[in-house]
Amino acid sequence: MADATTASMGGARRPLGPLLPAGAFYVVFFAVPMLCLFVISFWTAKGFTLIPGFTFANYVKIFTSPLYQALMLRTIGVAFVTTLIVVPAAFALACCMRFVFERRGQLILQIVLLSLFSGYLVRIYAWRTILGKQGLLNSTLMWLGVIDEPLEFLIYSNIAVVITLSGLLLPLAVLPLYSALLNVPRDHLEAARDLGAGRLHVLRTVLVPMAMPGLRTAFAFAFLLAAGDFVTPSLVGGSQSLLIGNIVADQFRGIGSNWPLGAAMAFVVVAVMLIAYLAVVRLIRWVTRW
Amino acid sequence: MVRLKRLVPAGFVALVLTYLYAPIAVIVLFSVTTSPRLSMPIEGLTLSWYANAFSNPLMTTALTNSLILALVSAVFSGLFGCAFAFGLVALKQPRLRAALLSASLLPAIVPLLVIGISLAVFFRALGMPQGLLNTAFGHILVSLPFVVLTMNARLENFDFSTLEAARDLGASPWRAFRDITFPLIRPSVIGAALLAAALSLDEFVVTWFNIGNQQSLPVLVWGLMRRGIDPSINAIATMLFALLACLVIASNILNRKKAS
Repeated sequence: MADATTASMGGARRPLGPLLPAGAFYVVFFAVPMLCLFVISFWTAKGFTLIPGFTFANYVKIFTSPLYQALMLRTIGVAFVTTLIVVPAAFALACCMRFVFERRGQLILQIVLLSLFSGYLVRIYAWRTILGKQGLLNSTLMWLGVIDEPLEFLIYSNIAVVITLSGLLLPLAVLPLYSALLNVPRDHLEAARDLGAGRLHVLRTVLVPMAMPGLRTAFAFAFLLAAGDFVTPSLVGGSQSLLIGNIVADQFRGIGSNWPLGAAMAFVVVAVMLIAYLAVVRLIRWVTRW
Repeated sequence: MVRLKRLVPAGFVALVLTYLYAPIAVIVLFSVTTSPRLSMPIEGLTLSWYANAFSNPLMTTALTNSLILALVSAVFSGLFGCAFAFGLVALKQPRLRAALLSASLLPAIVPLLVIGISLAVFFRALGMPQGLLNTAFGHILVSLPFVVLTMNARLENFDFSTLEAARDLGASPWRAFRDITFPLIRPSVIGAALLAAALSLDEFVVTWFNIGNQQSLPVLVWGLMRRGIDPSINAIATMLFALLACLVIASNILNRKKAS
């Protein structure tokens, strides 16, 4: 604290002191570790020893192996479908909160956000309980006589992964969308309607462009976090629905782990996701302008 | 007519809330039913899974570790994050401010998996064995963006003229901070710290890569889950949810409190 005070006295008008502790923390525990990870992605591993060096072998392996290509494609597919469910649903919810239940909007937001704190692992576990072969949904349907045999596709499938991930990420997507819509004045919508614009037209030309910053953040949350998750696929996904995150995690905590290969994979995931993210943001902008 | 118009949105909101809360309802329900099989119909009610959970010796260690991590997280990401948000609001250049804000939110967008393994690599390079200390750094990092975000929103309408008035009347910067600024933002600071504590209590991914052979509540739950169906998970989860819900509600009330 003493340091911060002297710094702000020296800087008089623009005290930088308060920025320093967090700034230093970000550099030491975020930027430097990312750099370390990047550096070792060019190393090799023999058993549990890491051998420093500079080789693209890990990256070549990832891009040429059919297994990793398939995993990457499935990961992008699952993340994309999840995003296609989460972002429109969150947008509709945010619209309801902002324009229909105006005064209760804040309260609904708090209730939505509170569900985040039921525990990340716990909610995944709960979905396994609900979707399992002898789980709540199947046993209830059988008890009611709707079905005779348990529905097998509910668990250990891509569907289970999408259902679970959507539930986990929806609250995170609602938050930026609701704050973005708070900046959209009601008059704008009414004016557009009065001028004869249809609902869809208002959505495309007024609502979406004005909520763009929120949409971008919501999309980033849903897509990047879905693509990077490994706990959901390992608990509800079964062996046929593993995602690239599982393989990365295995390289660090599994048997026969290979840190350099895992590091390279992590960067490939992040890079691919960033490219996909930028492409979609461009697409949305193009759709709203044409 | 107005009522009818609201029917569809109300139905939609109800549907989404059901989707979000169904897992929680299931966990709470099955923490008090007798059958270890989680299926319908329900046979009877019992509290024995709670007793089971508490008789697990790992549980007390995990709880202690989780509470230590939550406290460390609350204090450090609370202090660092609030100071950072305060520094941001005081910045005169809007572009620099926006850039710094975006940069500080990066750890919330980068997948936790990548943060977890990069920290593991970093600590290994430093020769630090895995454990609670490494995990604590990870927890502070993960909570920081959320503290910065909530504090930034709260401070955007902070009235700096009171501060300038205090300075004009001869107060030192430290004195102005202690007597004017801090009392004004105190509820938000505590609210942000509670949010950090809640995030830390729930953190699994970064923890798992950095805690080594130690336990925290989520790591314990993970271990129990891998071993098959154990209804005491439901009991632990219900208690964790109750704890987290209290923290979040308290954080919200404090954040909302008008400090004038």
